[in-house]
Amino acid sequence: MSRVVLKDLTKRYAGGNLAVDRLNLEVGDGEFVCLVGPSGCGKTTALRMIAGLEDISSGQVLIGEKVVNLLPPRDRDIALVFQSYALYPHMSVYDNMAFGLQLRKTPKPQIETAVRQAARILDLERFLDRKPGQLSGGQRQRVALGRAIVREPAAFLMDEPLSNLDAKLRVQTRAEIARLHQRLKATMIYVTHDQVEAMTMADRIAVISEGVLQQVGTPKDLYEKPDNRFVAGFIGSPSMNFVELKVEADRGSRLVGDGAQVVLDDAQRARLRDLGLTTATVGFRPEHLRVGELEGPGLRLDAKIDVVEFLGNDELIHAVSEGKDVVAIVEADARLTVGDSVVLSADPRHVYLFNPQTDLSLSAG
Amino acid sequence: MSAVQAIASPVTSSGRRLAIRLRPGRMVLNVVLALIAIFWMVPTISLLVISLRPSSSYGVSGWWTVFTDPAQLTLQNYKALFSTGFATGGILDSVITTALITVPATLLVTAISSLAAYSLVFGRWRGRTFVFLLIVGLLVVPVQVALIPVAQLYDAFFNLTGLHVYATLPGVVIFHVAFGLPFGIFLMRNFYTGIPKDLLEAGRIDGAGEWTLFRRVVLPLGLPAAASLAIFQFIWVWNDLLVGLVFLGGNAHHTLTIYLFSFTRTLSNDYWVIATGGIISILVPLAIFFAFQRYFVRGVLAGAVK
Amino acid sequence: MAALPRRRSLGLRRAVATPAPELGGVPLSAGALVETGRPPGGGWRSHLGSLLFLAPAVIWLAVIVGYPLIGTIRDSFYNGNSTSFVGLANYKTVFSTADILVTFRNNVIWVVVAPFLLTFLGLVFAVITERIRWATAFKTVVFMPIAFSMTASGLVWNSIMNIDPHVGVLNATLETVSDWFSPPGLYPVNTSAGQTIASLAASGLRPGPGGTLVSSASVSPGQSLRLGLIGISPATLELVGAKSAQTVSPVSGAVNGLVWRAFSPAHPTVRNQVFPGEDGIVGMHLTLLGSDGSSVATTTTDVHGDFSFTGVSSGSYHVQLDSTNFSSGFTGIYWLSGNQSITPTSGLSQTAQALLSIPLVDMSMIIAYLWIWAGFAMVIIGAGLAAINREVLEAARIDGATEWQTFRRVTMPMLAPVLVVVFVTMIINVLKIFDIIVNMAPSVSQSNTLATELYYVGFSSPPAYGLASALAVLLFILVVPVIFINLRRIR
Repeated sequence: MSRVVLKDLTKRYAGGNLAVDRLNLEVGDGEFVCLVGPSGCGKTTALRMIAGLEDISSGQVLIGEKVVNLLPPRDRDIALVFQSYALYPHMSVYDNMAFGLQLRKTPKPQIETAVRQAARILDLERFLDRKPGQLSGGQRQRVALGRAIVREPAAFLMDEPLSNLDAKLRVQTRAEIARLHQRLKATMIYVTHDQVEAMTMADRIAVISEGVLQQVGTPKDLYEKPDNRFVAGFIGSPSMNFVELKVEADRGSRLVGDGAQVVLDDAQRARLRDLGLTTATVGFRPEHLRVGELEGPGLRLDAKIDVVEFLGNDELIHAVSEGKDVVAIVEADARLTVGDSVVLSADPRHVYLFNPQTDLSLSAG
Repeated sequence: MSAVQAIASPVTSSGRRLAIRLRPGRMVLNVVLALIAIFWMVPTISLLVISLRPSSSYGVSGWWTVFTDPAQLTLQNYKALFSTGFATGGILDSVITTALITVPATLLVTAISSLAAYSLVFGRWRGRTFVFLLIVGLLVVPVQVALIPVAQLYDAFFNLTGLHVYATLPGVVIFHVAFGLPFGIFLMRNFYTGIPKDLLEAGRIDGAGEWTLFRRVVLPLGLPAAASLAIFQFIWVWNDLLVGLVFLGGNAHHTLTIYLFSFTRTLSNDYWVIATGGIISILVPLAIFFAFQRYFVRGVLAGAVK
Repeated sequence: MAALPRRRSLGLRRAVATPAPELGGVPLSAGALVETGRPPGGGWRSHLGSLLFLAPAVIWLAVIVGYPLIGTIRDSFYNGNSTSFVGLANYKTVFSTADILVTFRNNVIWVVVAPFLLTFLGLVFAVITERIRWATAFKTVVFMPIAFSMTASGLVWNSIMNIDPHVGVLNATLETVSDWFSPPGLYPVNTSAGQTIASLAASGLRPGPGGTLVSSASVSPGQSLRLGLIGISPATLELVGAKSAQTVSPVSGAVNGLVWRAFSPAHPTVRNQVFPGEDGIVGMHLTLLGSDGSSVATTTTDVHGDFSFTGVSSGSYHVQLDSTNFSSGFTGIYWLSGNQSITPTSGLSQTAQALLSIPLVDMSMIIAYLWIWAGFAMVIIGAGLAAINREVLEAARIDGATEWQTFRRVTMPMLAPVLVVVFVTMIINVLKIFDIIVNMAPSVSQSNTLATELYYVGFSSPPAYGLASALAVLLFILVVPVIFINLRRIR
């Protein structure tokens, strides 16, 4: 196992568009890192550059302290699990997993041991003689994993491996991959567009948008301390609410809008003054909103309820405030009905301020 | 900047570009393929050139001398052939005869195949698969097997009704349609299975009868396949020789292929006719080939690959 | 609940649902439909409708294909005009007539050689075109011949493979290449007219080894020779600029002489005298042979036919007229020959020869056939190639396979079904082949296959329906296995 380091990794296509723009990332030995972002953000391109399936326009990829830019995939000691599994349809499950070793002229007994062990880990022993066409989606995914395990690579690369599975199977396989990681202690780089997968599986997450790295951190870090509006809105489901409020002309101690207000603390006030901002974007998560007045500093909104979705223990409320749709998750005994006017409030530590021009977070640190 | 040059190949079916590394071998490959392509065009070009040279020069000097002596090109052969006008047995008459056989055959095959395919896919009666397999089995039956009995059949029909079928255009058309149906039904049926049955269920609930469903739902959706079939069938019938020979023999009108074939005995003297007639005979199929290449290729693929 | 409008052809009974109060009083949509057990949308009427659609096709096929198939089988047991039952007589004729056995042989050759070559060529093209930018243009060029009639193609290739290098491109190209290596001499012998090199010797010459003519007498320096030839046309001599022959006087230290055309109309039978009006033979390459036969010097005759070897040391010599003077160069290969066989079969019995030889014409026609159908194979295999999931190939790359290993162990197995389809389709096609043979090699009886033989037998006069039907049945039998392969594939 080894580290994978990306230094200023860039992919430029003919015509000038940058699919990946100077990506810097260090994946530690045995670490599980997720590259996450919306479709087309460049995460798959980055992964393929690490694998050697795409040429690198500039920058470096290091696997185990060795620069691998010019090495073909088979010399990079990596294994890749494809979204579509990419199993050899004419070979049995056994041969699928053994293929890489066969090519390297590994002696048969060794191949046998390695394949059987991987099959045991993934509960595939019954299927070794079958062809991929005879397996279900989940089973095929496990064969793809098995093929990777057998190689004992320095790093596992996974390209949205769960996207082709149905919801239930996805949850199951997610747990299996997590278990696999614990067991093998392998370095894993996992690409997905689903932030739930990233949050549940990764040691650290790298959020990417339009080829540019937005933030790297643990799931907790990204949830509690997003660096910019994109990360704040991408992480967490349902996603964070955003409203634009004006800085109060008087003393600048509040942000106000059409029935919304945020009481600022000194640090926030100073920040706004230093940057000379007259408006700010305010973000707040649905799960942090409460029905009722604010006591002390924090966010307070007047809202009119539009839709109420009963979730059992909670209710999901769509309300209109500041002309915008605001989502809140509150306890179900709030007895709210459509058309009610309510006051929603949130604690100051759950209120995020962003520079409306740069979308960067205004919080210190 | 990467030190390795990359050439992006055409985007493949999964939408990815494969990076291929440039090697000097690539140059050699391109040259070899260019030579093959040129070689491939030689026969066609030879026919064209011979048709544009005076008939007397055949056998005296090779047609390739036009490249060094372009002055010898002339249109006299074409003028000579066209000078017979629409006289029976002449080239223009043959073009018309061929068209009069090909067009009805194509239309009939396409229409009947579509109808049959509809029944085989959307009909709700038992034994559809069996009938389909039966028809598909007929795909490989060679025309030779039916030539004589059908000729006898035509004769019997004449004895019965006094209507000539043998040695008439309809006689040829009837035969061509029969042998075009297995392929046509195969192609249309395969395409129709891709049409969601829900569409028809919705139509039936709305009150549409089978004919309406066919005419207004399935047929329009199946147009690409029908086009492929029509084009493939057209070229096939236009270029046929054997069926024409058997069922039009004795008729003063010829198809283009019969016209060309009739000169094989006097090849060395009359090759100019063959060359000129040959070029004229391939104009229509070539035009269709180029105009509808995509459909034609699709027809070919459908016929051979499931 | 409002009554629903009645609709024709809907064999349903409708039930009107009552609203369920426990769902908060929200009424269900009016007119929930309840099946009666028949499929919705019509009963027997729709069955009839779609069966009617099938009728034209079925009737057409039954009358023109189904019934005749049976008819042919029946006819094969009857005589020439289908009047009396003859049992297996026709089949016996088929298997005992040499000519018909030959058609079997040809069919075998076609079926064994053509589909294999075609599939191979199609595969090569399909793979190679993946790597060039102008793939579409290449594919169009190679695929285009399919649009031509096999008749036109057969006629084109007839011309290309013509034996005369002034007509056939193939022989013309070969001639150019061959002439470059061994150009024809000025005075080629006309072998088709029965001329031999030896017959050219008229006076003072005898045939030598290796197609040469050598002076009968030996010479020493200071002597002069007169070598006479006949059988050389005056037209040729005029073409090469020959002048009247002139005798030369001996020169010491040199061997010289005259080579001339020893024919004078005034003295037609006298060969050893030089008469006025006889031309010298110009441009004749001569070699001076030593007593051991080795070459000492070479020279060429001038416009008067005179030659001279100077500076010759004393000894006994012969003068040789080199063989290159008489070589006819390339005269053209008879590609469409039914008698020249690729396999060595001379010396075998008649039947063995018939069955084992592979006439050149078959191979030539197969080449023409390749030209027409290689594009077809290429397009289909190309489509199969493109349908291969690129990620599987990438997985192989990551697993460590080189390009060749990927091709052999991943691509080819995945391509196998397509290759089989092409192969089988071509086998069927080849069994039915008619147009190409009849137009490319019309008078070569050795080139016939079952299909052409069938036509000739069945539609000549008087027509031999019985025999033709027997041939048709045999053709059909050959094709039947493919029917099963197809059916299995489609199921």
